[in-house]
Amino acid sequence: MQINRRSVVLTGLSAAGTFALGAPGVLGQAKPRVVVIGGGAGGATAARYIAKDSQGAIAVTLVEENESYQTCFHSNLYVGGFRKYEEIVHGYDALAKNHGITLARARATQIDRDKKEVVLSTGQRLPYDRLVVSPGIDLKYDSVPGWSKEVEEQMPHGWKPGRQTQLIKQRLDAVPNGGTIVMIAPPNPYRCPPGPYERASMFAHVLQQAGKKDAKIIILDPKESFSKQGVFQADWEKRYRSMIEWLGPKIHDGIKSVDPKTNTVVTGFETYKDCAFVNVIPAQMAGEIARSAGLAPAGGYCAIDAATMKSTVDPNIFVLGDACIAGDMPKSAFSANSQAKVAAMTIRGELTNARTFPARYVNTCWSLVAPDDTIKVGGRYEPKDGKIAATETFVSKPGESAELRKENQAENMGWYAGITADMFS
Amino acid sequence: MAGTFPVPAWLGSVATALALSAGPASATGDKALGEYLSSECTTCHQSSGRQVGGIPAIIGHPADQFIALMITYRDKQRDNQVMQTIAGRLTREEMDALAAYYESLKPSR
Repeated sequence: MQINRRSVVLTGLSAAGTFALGAPGVLGQAKPRVVVIGGGAGGATAARYIAKDSQGAIAVTLVEENESYQTCFHSNLYVGGFRKYEEIVHGYDALAKNHGITLARARATQIDRDKKEVVLSTGQRLPYDRLVVSPGIDLKYDSVPGWSKEVEEQMPHGWKPGRQTQLIKQRLDAVPNGGTIVMIAPPNPYRCPPGPYERASMFAHVLQQAGKKDAKIIILDPKESFSKQGVFQADWEKRYRSMIEWLGPKIHDGIKSVDPKTNTVVTGFETYKDCAFVNVIPAQMAGEIARSAGLAPAGGYCAIDAATMKSTVDPNIFVLGDACIAGDMPKSAFSANSQAKVAAMTIRGELTNARTFPARYVNTCWSLVAPDDTIKVGGRYEPKDGKIAATETFVSKPGESAELRKENQAENMGWYAGITADMFS
Repeated sequence: MAGTFPVPAWLGSVATALALSAGPASATGDKALGEYLSSECTTCHQSSGRQVGGIPAIIGHPADQFIALMITYRDKQRDNQVMQTIAGRLTREEMDALAAYYESLKPSR
């Protein structure tokens, strides 16, 4: 294991005895230990809140193999030219410096649930009293015939951060006037429900700004409907005329295959040849570490207890964010951040007898359609009948005032600054 | 530092709601409950008091003004779907708790 904050580790050890009596859940042990797998919206938030609110009484280790984190949220704004790439990349140093979190720069390769240990790619084993698993999604490379990991550079997905995000922008910028972009949208459930449609909006914006008004964006969707559909489609018509064409399964009659060599997409209805850019967003599932630990069925997501975010198969493990089945909550960074706070509270209650309160959750997803034109969907949620259920929801409507849409965008930018501070500061 | 902190526009427009809000200004709410509930706010409103874009800073504000504002959102007298949704499930006890907690915070920079 590479721990790049050795001073933090030593400080943590020296403080261990101080809190030994304050840890009723693990009597006889120096200090209760929480390991968090995954440094995204779920994991980073959980690590930060457990460490911050326990004020040193719990030893928190964050396992993340990447040195920094590129947010998938607002990556569409980067694609659209509204953000620089470096603006959506964040480091973990403040979590160590401000909250004493130990950073383990490695990949979690195994969860030994019997021994309550996480095995790292370095061979190191990290014992835990409670484990937070927040690995995000993995892509189902076999979900689109003809597409695979080997061809993800030719037909990028852009649904996991880093090079793939940058590839989407490069490929978009190279589309000629008159060129056709085909986006294959994913089936439910998947990360960021409005994401493909915000991305299509950004495609259209970039093409329009470049004067490539004869370019077309065709969305082939396996779903009958999609998030914020009514308002997205009304706005596309208003902003981009016929540039974006959405085709549901009854119209395209199934996505039969793709050919990366010829940039061809075949549906039951039509064959799209010589596409300028094919963006394949495949079906998704819980991250590998969650599946290999038996927290999710093959190809699926992890069931959780709605009141605590605990895995239903292991009471010492909490699963957050895109990897879990969160009932009515969408797979979003906001949702993961909200779920992390319920988990953090529950963990502190169990390990240090901290006061706990009934779980409650909240989410909002903003989507930029055009400059200063942002729509949103959101709601509040509570545990009900064994799942996280929506108690009130809202969604933007077609025809709203330009002023309101501009306010939404200001809110969107403020939210980004807020949630990234809530994760990484 | 508080003196240089930007005053949100909404503070000037809650007088009516303030007059209508039940009970006196409450800084005696349950701060521990308020701190937990505040985790719902901190996804957008920064704990440091930093204000970015369309998300106002809310730390350090007088409890009575905070409560009055929550009531106007709960009752949908003020527009904003996110805030209406969040305030809509707050009981008066929870508003008191949040207000007491946020009143106790000072900007960190």
